[in-house]
Order: sequence, then C-alpha cells, then structure tokens
Amino acid sequence: MKKIRTPYLIVMFLILYLPILYLVFYSFNAGTTMKGFAGFSFKHYGELWQDTRLIDIVFETGIVALLSSLLATIIGTLGALAIFRVHRGAVKGALLSLNNVLLVSPDVIIGAAFLILFTTFKFSLGFVTVLLAHVAFSIPIVVLMVLPRLQEMNPDLVLAAQDLGARPTQVLGQVTIPAITPGIVAGFFMALTYSLDDFAVTFFVTGNGFSTLAVEIYSRARQGVSLEINALSALIFLFSLVIAVAYYFINRLNQRQKAPELREKVK
Amino acid sequence: MVEKMPILEFSKVALSFGDTEVLKEIDLVLESGKFYTLLGPSGSGKSTILKLISGQLQADAGKIFFEGQVINDVPAEKRRVNTVFQNYSLFPNMNVFDNVAFGPRLKKMSEKDIQDKVKEMLGLVKLSGFERREISELSGGQQQRVAIARALANDPEVLLLDEPLSALDYKLRKELQQELRNIQKRLGITFVFVTHDQEEALAMSDWIFVMHDGLIQQNGTPEDIYDEPINHFVADFIGETNIVPGIMKHDYLVHFVGKDFENVDAGMRPNERVEVVLRPEDLDLTDPANGKLVVTIQDQLFRGDYYEITAVDDDMNTWQVQATNPATVGARVGLTFDPEDIHIMRYNESEAAFDARLESYEDEEAEAALQAAKDDQSQSGGQG
Ligand SMILES: Nc1ncnc2c1ncn2[C@@H]1O[C@H](COP(=O)(O)OP(=O)(O)OP(=O)(O)O)[C@@H](O)[C@H]1O
Ligand SMILES: [Mg+2]
Repeated sequence: MKKIRTPYLIVMFLILYLPILYLVFYSFNAGTTMKGFAGFSFKHYGELWQDTRLIDIVFETGIVALLSSLLATIIGTLGALAIFRVHRGAVKGALLSLNNVLLVSPDVIIGAAFLILFTTFKFSLGFVTVLLAHVAFSIPIVVLMVLPRLQEMNPDLVLAAQDLGARPTQVLGQVTIPAITPGIVAGFFMALTYSLDDFAVTFFVTGNGFSTLAVEIYSRARQGVSLEINALSALIFLFSLVIAVAYYFINRLNQRQKAPELREKVK
Repeated sequence: MVEKMPILEFSKVALSFGDTEVLKEIDLVLESGKFYTLLGPSGSGKSTILKLISGQLQADAGKIFFEGQVINDVPAEKRRVNTVFQNYSLFPNMNVFDNVAFGPRLKKMSEKDIQDKVKEMLGLVKLSGFERREISELSGGQQQRVAIARALANDPEVLLLDEPLSALDYKLRKELQQELRNIQKRLGITFVFVTHDQEEALAMSDWIFVMHDGLIQQNGTPEDIYDEPINHFVADFIGETNIVPGIMKHDYLVHFVGKDFENVDAGMRPNERVEVVLRPEDLDLTDPANGKLVVTIQDQLFRGDYYEITAVDDDMNTWQVQATNPATVGARVGLTFDPEDIHIMRYNESEAAFDARLESYEDEEAEAALQAAKDDQSQSGGQG
C-alpha cells in the first residue's frame, strides 16, 4: 500500500498546484503574454504597484469580507443558539432544512434574488448591497459551523453554572460562548473565504462605482488577461501560504501550552 | 429531647412528565448535618428528587419546605443548595482555580476572600497546589474532587450529589466514599447522595431512602434496611438474598419448605401467607443429618474472601450460601441458621404499618428481656 500511497499523493498535489504554479511562473515573464517565457522580470509587479484602481479593489474586497463575516458570525451564532433551544423536533428540523437550502442553492439564484430585492426597494447598488448580500449568504455557513458545537457541549455545564448562581447572560458569556468558540472561529474563517471567493452573487448586486476582486478580474479577462493579474495572483497565493503556515504554528503552540503534562505522559 | 427542625421536608410531592408519573406522593424529612442516600434502580426518580430540591424542576403537587418555609416557588439561585454532577461538568475553558472560584465570583466576593475560599476548598478535597492546572490535565478522580470543591465553595447548607462516583474505578470509588464521608462530618452540612449501588449506600449513609417506581419503598438506617427489608423489592435490591414463600402459623413460628421453624417475628394474622428472607451469609453448611434444610449443591464460585455456593432444595427453591470453605458440586448437604436470621415480610404492608408492627413486638421483647434480667437477678440474689 505504502508504495502506491506516496507517489499517489505527490501526483495528486502536483496536479492540484500545477495551474497555480504555472500562473505564478508567468508573472515573472518579461513578455506580455503566457505564450512563451521571454526572460525573468519583475515588470508586471511594477505595473501592479502603479495600478491604484486594482489595489483599491483589493482593499475593498478585504473590507467587505471582514465586515460581512464579522456581522454574519454574530448573527449566525445567535441564530444557532436560538435553533439549539427549540425543543420541538419537527420545528428544529424545519429550521435546519431552511438553513441548508440556502447553503446549497446556486449562487446565481441567490444573486438574482438579491438583485430583484434591492431594485424593488430602490437601493442603489454598490458597497452596501454587496455587504448585505455577503452577510446573508454567510449566515447559514456560520450556523452550520456553530450548531454542532452546541450539540456536543455537555448540557450539564449550563446546569452547573445555574446551580452556582449564574444568571442567563452570565451562563451565556462565561460558559456557553467559550465552549463553542472553536465553532465560531471556524465559522468566521469559512465566511471570510466564501466572501473573498464570491463571484456570482457579487456580480449581480454590485453597481457602477464598486467592484470586488473576483468581478474585476472577470471583467478584465474579457479583454485578455494581462500578466499584472498573474502578479496579483502570485501575491495572494503567497499571502494564503503564509496564513496557512502561521495558523499551523499557532495551533501547535496553543496545544503545547495547554497540555504540557499530557504531552509528557504520552511520551 | 427537643426535635430539631428538619432542614428539608417533602410533603406529598408528586411530579409527572406528560403521562408518566415520575414521583407519586413523596414524603421525606431530612435533618440538618446528616448523610442521606437515595438508593434505587435506574429510572426510579432519584435525580428528579434532587432537581426538585435544587429548584431545577417544579413539583406538580405537594409542598417542599426548607427550614420550615415553603420553597416551591423560590428560584434555584436563591436556594442554599448546590449540586455535584455525575459527569463532573467542570468548565473546560477555566483552570482549577477559576472553576472553584466561579460561585464566589458571581457573589462578588473580594479577590482576597475568593483566594482564601478556593485555597480552603482545594485543601478540603486534597488538591492543594492544583490551582493552575487545566481541567484536561486532571484524572477522573481529581476532576470529581474539583467538582466537589466548586459546589462547596458556595457554602451550601445542603449538598446534592448525583451518582458522583459511578464513573470511577472500584479502588478510587472506595477512597472517595471515605473522603466524602469525612468532608460531610467535618463541615457538618447535609448531604443528599444518589446512587444505585447498594454497597455504596450501606457504607456511607446515616439514613437511606430506597426508591422504586417513583415511590419511597423504605427508609431507615443501613442496618434497618439490610436486616429488616419491608418487601421483596427492597430485600432483593439490598444485596444477595434468598426469598421463599412461607406461612406464619402464629407469632414466632413460620412454615416454609415443608417444615416449621422458630423465628423472632410477630404481629401477623395466624396462618398468613408471607415471604421468608434468609441472607446468604447467615446460612452455614453442615452434614445433612444436622441441617434444618437439606439441599444439593449446584454451583460454586470463588469470590476472594468467600465461596458463593448455589444449591437447590427438594422443592426446587434456589439457595445462595456464602461459605468460607469450598463444597463439592453435586453433594447433598445440610443448611443451618438461627431463628433470628429469619426475616419475615408480609405482602403489601405499608411502611407505617411495618414500623408500627416491628415496634410493638420489639417492645414486648424488650420488656420480656428486662423481666428475664430481673428474674435472673432475684435468683442470683436468692442464691447469695
Ligand atoms: N425531562 C424529562 N421528560 C420526560 N421524562 C423524564 C424526564 N426526566 C426524567 N424523566 C423520566 O423520569 C423517570 C425518573 O427519572 P430520574 O432521572 O429521576 O431517574 P433516576 O432514578 O435518577 O435514574 P438513573 O439512575 O438512571 O439516573 C425516568 O423514567 C425518566 O425516563
Ligand atoms: Mg439519575
């Protein structure tokens, strides 16, 4: 088995990363197309640095993502708490299904629906509508990440806190929220990546003055992708890599600090 | 002697979940400073009683008194009662110190007082120096100690313990039984301990309530309940036992397995059908000629400090015997026992009637004994 496993994994990851690496490779091309490598150069990075519109859009995309996932995390967590407290099985099931339907319905439909909603109420399309739409499609994700944590939580913890004299808000703040924090954090990051990634919904609800990276790249690509986009992609890829590695080390550090004795025992 | 006011009292308390009657007319009286145990099989309503005391559940009927005041409507956080849960239920996001300090902090005690309190409580449960430990770094036994310290840090007058030791291994359980008992004596507060382990109940309690089907079947000291169970359920639940049908011919004479036996029970109707209880440890093996009963040995198990022998009599009743020496499977042997080893149970006798009957003939016996002692004295006086 092992003989097959290692090559299999190498080939699998190679195929997965090949397109990205190809893209990154051509960001260093001295020429202007991806047809033939004309020599090494940072010139497209220079162009990117000059392109203030693109840089603004990168920041705006980040702000939409951060704000929408923050709002969605708050609303979604409260929603999960509310669904968790529903005791009638049928009602609970129905609420969960409603949540999941939103998750699986195609982005195009959600985007079109928002477009109709916003135009009906005469919202001018732009930052606010994009933000609202992102909050809306992120909430079900957060609910989905938080609810299992609530279900896993030992219900006696709440009873124990009440038994010791805690009022409902104190139970929530000191016992329940800390117990489900991993779910909340995971929900936040999922919402963040969904928001950063989103093209379809944003495409519908964005207006003239405002754009996100996905939509901008799409509209530029229609006129033929310039290698400036490759340079940007390379930077974003590097950024993701740094985040992933940092996350790994932070995680390891946390576990070390938390259970030094346990670790020793395992040894 | 002046009766102390009970700290806690249930008067005709009943509770149903939908159609199921979980508690039917529970009456109980707890005095301050004693170790009480609710003993019964799963589903008998033990935890429900604790939840009524702590205020997590409300009674459908009846009254609950705390120091003479009705507390049916007093909210849980105003009751001076705390609970130790079976699965520890420590807050995993807090270390040992913060867990124990949880109650005192809610009460807005000063940081200095909180530190003293936590120190005192951890000392009480023998975990001094564990303040900074995370919960995940503690063994099961240590976690349960922290849970006990956390509940006691709130200065309860009644501590409720819902099967706190059942997740621990045998040795640790024994150790913590002893310690809980010591802590209770030291603090002098009332403990209400729930278990389905009869051995644990007998070892720890001042007073036991045996529960079954939402009713208290019998309450009394461990000795009372072990020696004089009121009915088949209690006799069977409290330890290994032999129960055979019999007829109480008249006071102090019972008929079972085709023979008459002298015994020490009285107060039944003549020729009343009864159940006869003989504990395995009260039976001795002897040769068939000297036996009060003759049985055939069927099976034998070595239990470490004794042999557990199963035998059958000629009426096909099974007898459990605890013997120090091994026997031969298939052999015919005699069983002997003393008249006082026989305990008689009437069918459907209420606890009140049972207690009254026991008292009446025990008084008689005491008088008789007193008379005998006097006779003895006058005799010896005459001789001298
Ligand atoms: N919330 C509830 N809804 C419906 N029935 C319940 C509820 N809580 C308890 N019961 C029922 O009440 C009965 C008594 O429950 P209780 O928890 O008091 O039993 P117990 O004696 O503590 O048993 P165990 O030893 O298993 O803990 C059980 O039959 C149980 O199924
Ligand atoms: Mg229970």
